[in-house]
Amino acid sequence: MITARSLVRIYRLGNVEVRALRGVSFEIGGGEFVGIMGPSGSGKSTLLHILGLLDHPTSGDLAIDGINVLQCPERRRTLFRLNKLGYVFQDYALVPELTARENVYLPSMVRGMPRDEYMAASAEILGEVGLGERMEHRQYELSGGEQQRVAIARALVNRPSILFADEPCANLDSVTSKNILELFKKLNEDLNQTIVMVSHEDWHIEYFCRVIYLKDGSIERIEECKTTRG
Amino acid sequence: MNLQNLKVSAFLAARTIQRGNKGTLLLTIAITALVFVNLVFQPSILSGIVETFDRQSIDFNYGNLVVEPKGDESAIDNVESLTRKINRIPGVTGTSPRYETGATFTWKSKTLNRQVVSFTPSDEVTVTRIHENVIEGEFLSDGDTDQILLGILLAGETDETKDKLESLGGVRVGDTVEVTYNNGVVRTYRVKGIVETLSIGVDSVAYVTNREMASVLGIEDSASTILVRIDEQGAEDKMKRTLQRFGIQEEIKTFREKAQGFIGDAVTSFNIINVISIIVSLIITVVVIFIVVFINTVNKRKQIGILKAIGIDHRIIVNSYVMQVVFIAACGTVLGLVFIALITAYLSYSPLLFPGGPVVPKIEPALILRSIVSLFAVSIVAGYIPAWKTARENILDAIRGGT
Repeated sequence: MITARSLVRIYRLGNVEVRALRGVSFEIGGGEFVGIMGPSGSGKSTLLHILGLLDHPTSGDLAIDGINVLQCPERRRTLFRLNKLGYVFQDYALVPELTARENVYLPSMVRGMPRDEYMAASAEILGEVGLGERMEHRQYELSGGEQQRVAIARALVNRPSILFADEPCANLDSVTSKNILELFKKLNEDLNQTIVMVSHEDWHIEYFCRVIYLKDGSIERIEECKTTRG
Repeated sequence: MNLQNLKVSAFLAARTIQRGNKGTLLLTIAITALVFVNLVFQPSILSGIVETFDRQSIDFNYGNLVVEPKGDESAIDNVESLTRKINRIPGVTGTSPRYETGATFTWKSKTLNRQVVSFTPSDEVTVTRIHENVIEGEFLSDGDTDQILLGILLAGETDETKDKLESLGGVRVGDTVEVTYNNGVVRTYRVKGIVETLSIGVDSVAYVTNREMASVLGIEDSASTILVRIDEQGAEDKMKRTLQRFGIQEEIKTFREKAQGFIGDAVTSFNIINVISIIVSLIITVVVIFIVVFINTVNKRKQIGILKAIGIDHRIIVNSYVMQVVFIAACGTVLGLVFIALITAYLSYSPLLFPGGPVVPKIEPALILRSIVSLFAVSIVAGYIPAWKTARENILDAIRGGT
């Protein structure tokens, strides 16, 4: 599903060269729930951004679903993100003028899905994340956890191949964080949803089936199957 | 940009308008409306001035055409046969030979130098509408020799502070004024009527009959000008050529040619003011809309970055802002039209008073269309640029740097 080979990412900050990734290689299979962990500055977010086609590596190869995505022009990368990938960010990033349901069906509208289909799909996915009763509420009427659930529903509405989550619990309390992780776990187990999630919280490890540890831009180690599913 | 993407842009724009900050939206619409009023109002006043001046010139000063002595001659001779000839030309509805000379008016202790214009009243009514603007007393009759018609500005007010020009100080119908003509002839006239046309040139002089003027100046069958009325307004140039073709040897001028010195300078000056005002208004529109959209997009930088990250094409985002601007411009135009209708209604009831006469704004469809097009054009450009700039930003820079 994801094949990364020798990914290198070098930033320039003025005259200083920052080597954020120093040749990272790994594979992620379909249906996996993979955690990317490591200390601050280890390159977790940089790696997630490259995997999510939000950034370009300085060198290396990346294939998703067998497609060499690094060769795609920007327009195709945008369509690839819309059709194949889902994103959940730290701070939800909902459109405040839209209701929960409208936020969720927005990507489906862009895909050209008929109205009745995207209305049904958004209702279904909001039901799955436990917001069936809160669909017509706007952002300011939802708690942080509910907003993150809407963001997750938005990421999932187009049934993406891979769901990327960049520290989705960073702004949530531990109870709400647990709920969100349970939801990810449920989606992973029930829908066989591939999830790649960046985290720096050790207690999240129990939800991942594999953890890629980064340190100073390189893979320090990969730990397999930490979940209770074994 | 396909139809589906435009639908999404329209959806985002509609929701932002519906549920976004109403205060900012209403303020922006109000500013746009006022700019639209400014775009339309000043040129419409200018058109109104030109129209008023044309109407007043035709109705009270010149008719449509003015026949003047040829070459160096000071008067037109054989006026009777000449007017008969002109009256037979198709399209001519009336002629009025006039004579004009300077005189000194005396009433009580007041003395004033002004022009005396003579005409044959039965001819004059076929050309001008002075007879319809006698506010006191009566218009002259062809046989009147001891009566005079005074313009309101010459007759004046008892209270000098109310006078717009120096006057005789409140002469009324029935009073007697002494007129000393330039040739030394002194006549005493009973004031038969007072005329008020709101045209300074008409209201500041006096009128006697041609019969009286002939006896004063010792002239016969002579005039300094012949005013000509035609049936097709706006066809003055064509009729001028027609008169020439029919063998009228005298010099023929259209009312515009007669008035061009005065109105030409005024129109040029107003046009300069107008252009400056339009440019300033459009710059205000550009700045206001640019700032509103710029602040809006900068505040939503992170949100825009994330919308792009989830696969929404930046053109959808840019177009949603452009559509909001189009909505603002449309509402501003409608509101502006309402303001203009109210202002026009008020000014129709209480016209602006200019030296040439009362002015009502003349709103022409071409002016409205031009104003709408320019308002929409600058609004769209002013909305597009900041939206495009923000939406083109690198996704990660927008997400990291956004608020």
